[in-house]
Amino acid sequence: MPAHARFRDLIVQHLDAGYNLARWLARDADDAQDVVQDACMRALKYADSLQGNDARAWFLTIVRHAFYDWCKRNRPSEIAHDDGAALDAAIANPAMGPEPSAIRGAETRALSEALSQLPLQYREVIVLRELEELSYKQIARVVDVPVGTVMSRLSRARALLQRSPMLHAIRGQSSGGES
Amino acid sequence: MNCNEAVALVAAHADGEIDRLRGHSLTKHLRGCAQCAEKHEAVLALRRRLHAEIEYHLAPPALKQRLVAALAAAEPSFALKTPSPISRWRWMGAGALAGCAVTVFAWMISTALLDTRARDDLAAEATVAHVRATLGNHLVEVASSDQHTVKPWLSARLDYSPPVRDMAASGFTLVGGRLDYLSGQHVATLVYRYRDHMVDVFVRPRTVASTQPALRTLRGFNVARASGAAFDWIAVSDVSADALSPFVEALAREQ
Repeated sequence: MPAHARFRDLIVQHLDAGYNLARWLARDADDAQDVVQDACMRALKYADSLQGNDARAWFLTIVRHAFYDWCKRNRPSEIAHDDGAALDAAIANPAMGPEPSAIRGAETRALSEALSQLPLQYREVIVLRELEELSYKQIARVVDVPVGTVMSRLSRARALLQRSPMLHAIRGQSSGGES
Repeated sequence: MNCNEAVALVAAHADGEIDRLRGHSLTKHLRGCAQCAEKHEAVLALRRRLHAEIEYHLAPPALKQRLVAALAAAEPSFALKTPSPISRWRWMGAGALAGCAVTVFAWMISTALLDTRARDDLAAEATVAHVRATLGNHLVEVASSDQHTVKPWLSARLDYSPPVRDMAASGFTLVGGRLDYLSGQHVATLVYRYRDHMVDVFVRPRTVASTQPALRTLRGFNVARASGAAFDWIAVSDVSADALSPFVEALAREQ
């Protein structure tokens, strides 16, 4: 039936976006593949929940769910630590992560490292906003929180990245430009 | 605009998420306020760096291949075609099995979901009926291109006698009919073929004028409706709206 072929094309079309999200959330290529594979099977199952034209946001929502379920099974600590207190601790102690010496001098690498060290809630909104270029509204739908929460998470996530000890260059550049 | 208001909008502005009016007054404020301008520029600078430096991970080709195969393997049970030959890879075999199971499950879930959603919405209900008929291969209960066969079959099972006409002249060939259940009543469903597409036309005695639009698209299907003197007509198909709307209007007009 052409309807199914169309549906399959739709998934294939957004496979890269799904993999990119899974890859940034899981921070591991093999785990990301497992997540995306599971997500595709779920997408078939929930084909009828696709409404309107926003297939990408729809598929990303499924990938995200698949990731969180996978995470619960394989790295429960990562989700458990993603509550308010742990987030505050992460913000108060931005030195966590790889030793700065290992990445000093490799600026590109540094920003990637800083992003991958962000707590999950913050990492996902940055990936959805900056890499997938979703609107606030779409992100709200994918992450299933109100738009206001998307905005506050984005702003904290950005503050964390800007404050990251690995990335003094960002502040330097920005203040140099304007003052 | 003061600094407090401006700070709250800086990020949204950098993200292109505020309306023009507020964007305009923010821009004005930023021109006169170095502090806020710096914050705005900091967000832009971070965005630029993220775009330039963060790797976008493309799905590995092997993964793509595997998933395309798995998705294709799930297709036969959707399409009710002959099953594909047993593949060389065990993974694909397993994928096909899983796919079939998933498809059956998906069908059950989706129709259940749609059922709840369809209440109060005739177009959605008609779409559900169409999808269920095509997936379950129960499109036609009386198969005939002869209107004089289809009409009596329907009349005998309903408390009304729907007009049945072959519309082959305009490309819609009558294939048969069946009974459906919409909005709590049995309705006649006429099944037409248009090129390779199946078209379901639901016919029921005219009720109060509908507030629904004449043409809607639900989950990729076009739903066109028209009312004649005595009957309401609802056509559901993946046929383009350009062909579907005139068809249903012609049915309603010439009953």
